[in-house]
Amino acid sequence: MKYALVTGGSRGIGRAICVKLAGMGYHILINFQSNVEEAEKTLELVKAKGVNGELMKFDVSRQEEVDGSLGKWMEANPDKPIEVLVNNAGIRKDNLLMWMSNKEWDTVMDIAVDGFFNVTRLIIKQMLYKKYGRVVNVVSLSGLKGLPGQTNYSASKAAVIGATKALSQEVGRRNITVNAVAPGFINTDMTKDMNEKDFKQLIPMSRFGTPEEVANVVGFLASDQATYVTGQVISVNGGLYS
Amino acid sequence: MSIPTTPAAMTKEEIIEKIKGFLVEEFETDAAKITPEANLRETLDLDSLDYVDLVVVIESNFGFKVVGEDFINIHTFQDFYDYCFNKVAQKTA
Repeated sequence: MKYALVTGGSRGIGRAICVKLAGMGYHILINFQSNVEEAEKTLELVKAKGVNGELMKFDVSRQEEVDGSLGKWMEANPDKPIEVLVNNAGIRKDNLLMWMSNKEWDTVMDIAVDGFFNVTRLIIKQMLYKKYGRVVNVVSLSGLKGLPGQTNYSASKAAVIGATKALSQEVGRRNITVNAVAPGFINTDMTKDMNEKDFKQLIPMSRFGTPEEVANVVGFLASDQATYVTGQVISVNGGLYS
Repeated sequence: MSIPTTPAAMTKEEIIEKIKGFLVEEFETDAAKITPEANLRETLDLDSLDYVDLVVVIESNFGFKVVGEDFINIHTFQDFYDYCFNKVAQKTA
C-alpha cells in the first residue's frame, strides 16, 4: 500500500495536493492543526478518489506532537511505508520588520522550518531503509524574491529551500528525491485579503493561480515521471518571477 | 518500516560474518581486505555521506539505533565488531 503524508492538508493548496495524490493512487494521511471541519471535507474528497485517507491532528512545530501522533502511527503501521511526504504546513503573519513582534517572527519560523525538520527527520529514516522516497516542500515566491512585509515568511521559506538542496544531496544515492515548489499568488484563504485586480498587472499570465495548478506540479515531482529531478525549486507563479 | 529481530543466540562469529556480508554488498569491498586490524573508514573508502548508508545497513540488519557519536571511537573493524557485539547484547539482554 502506498501512503503519502501532506502537512497542512485541510485547506487550500494542501487540500488540492491531497486530492491530486489520491488520484494517483496514494492513500493519504491528512495532517491538520485546528480546522477539523475542513480536514473532514478534504478526507471526503480523497475517499471519492477510491483510496483510503486518515486525518492526523498535530502541530508540526511541536516535536512531541509529531512524535506522539505521526511517530506512533508509523510504529503501529510498519506495513504502510510513507513514500511521499509533502511539507505544506505554513502560516503568514505579515508585518514590517520594525513593527514585527517576537511572536509573529517565531510562529512563522517554527511552523515552516521546525515543522519541516520535525516531520522530515522522522520519515526520511524510513525512506532510507526502503531506498525510495519523494519529499516535496511547498515554499513560496516570497522565499525566492523576498516580499516586503514578509521578512519572517520570506526567511522561513528561504530556509526550507536551503534545506531542500542540502537534504537532496544527503539522500540522493538511496533513490530519494527532495524538491520544492514555489507558488506565486494562488487563490486560497491565505490570499483572500489580497485584491487580485491590484496584483494581476504584475503577473505575466494576468491572474492568480489555482491550488490545483500547484498540486499538479507536486504530483509530477512525486510521480515516476520525475525520477531524475532532485534539489530543485520549481516556481508556479504565472511568470511573475524567475 | 521493518525492524529486524536479532536472534538472541547469535554468536560473535555469526555477527562478524553478518557484518562482513552486508559491508561487502553495500560498499562493494573485497572481503579479503576486511581484517580486524584494518581501518574501517579507509578500507571502505567512506566519505561523510557514506555514513548514511552504513547506519541504514547496521540498523536494518541488527535493529538497534545508531547515532553519529557512536563512531568517534570506532577506528578498526575490531572496534566496529565490538560496538556491534555490545549493542546486540544490550538489545537482547
